Amino acid sequence: MRQHRLALCKDHYPQWFIEQTQRFIEKYRMFTHQDRILVAVSGGKDSLALWDVLWQLGYEAEGLYINLGIGGEFAYSDESQQAAQKFADQRRLKLHIYHVEERRGESVPAIALRTHRGRQKPCAVCGLIKRHTMNQMARQLGFSVLATAHNLDDEVSFLFGNLLSWNLRQIPRQSPVLEAEEGFVRKVKPFIRFSERETAAYSIVRGIEYIEEECPFAEGSKQLQYKDLLNRLEEQQPGVKLRFLLGFFNAMEQGFIHPIEDEQGEVILNPCPSCGQPTSTGDLCATCRLFEEN
Amino acid sequence: MPVVLIYRKQKLEVEGTLTVREALQKLGLSPESHLIVRNGELLNENDILRNGEEVKVISAISGGAR
Repeated sequence: MRQHRLALCKDHYPQWFIEQTQRFIEKYRMFTHQDRILVAVSGGKDSLALWDVLWQLGYEAEGLYINLGIGGEFAYSDESQQAAQKFADQRRLKLHIYHVEERRGESVPAIALRTHRGRQKPCAVCGLIKRHTMNQMARQLGFSVLATAHNLDDEVSFLFGNLLSWNLRQIPRQSPVLEAEEGFVRKVKPFIRFSERETAAYSIVRGIEYIEEECPFAEGSKQLQYKDLLNRLEEQQPGVKLRFLLGFFNAMEQGFIHPIEDEQGEVILNPCPSCGQPTSTGDLCATCRLFEEN
Repeated sequence: MPVVLIYRKQKLEVEGTLTVREALQKLGLSPESHLIVRNGELLNENDILRNGEEVKVISAISGGAR
């Protein structure tokens, strides 16, 4: 690992990885052993690695798999669900499953096809439904923390994309921890300082059977382009991604980057009349509107 | 017989002997975004690949909705 100037054997790598995760959990005050943690799992390397690490650290962590109904040549969602279930069964862990089509009557690709938001690519609809469902399930099931496996590459490419388009509303919201607010569960990202290569290496060394196939809709996405570009830079400048992200967090902490105040003052959140989740619209929330739109 | 690298169900070939990092670079793949596994064992970037062996390239990068 050039950025850490560190070389570890296959026996010591998982130990280092687990210790580092615990260090990040404490550093960013993410949660304690008193919390009940819901881990969002996709069947991929990052989320199963996160669940595995939290399990090994003795946290009370259950999984949530959201079946989006993505098919194609490879039955992506069903195969991913099977991988997540197998992982849970092997460790006797509890996996909660939310099947979008069974609950909502339509799969994510079908919703995307008939709605304005998803017309070009289903990723925006998919992200909205996932964020909504994760929060809803965590609250309904009584979890105090929702953990996602966003890693260094996810965060750096997201920040880079937001800077390229000067998305000044989104930039100050990026953080290792999003505190709980009325109607919103606390959200944490324990892998935020690991590169995707490091989480993949952990999963391989630990023998975790994850889904290697990429979501069929991710091909050609801007996020993948940014990740590739930033990794080309990382090859030349080891540690540049971590410095970019930590520099941003540092600037946030020191008050150089501020959240934009809404012109109308504080945003008032009301419960959505359909699902009960908080929304600023005064009517149906953005997710429930997707199901009303024809 | 060159080194065979299985990448996304395709067979790619490079002439050995060379390191993992050199093999990935020869194929235009970033060593920051890819790992190589031999018989289920993760190789590090300085491990040597020799003609006649077959290894698997794993893409570490994934994308999609946040």
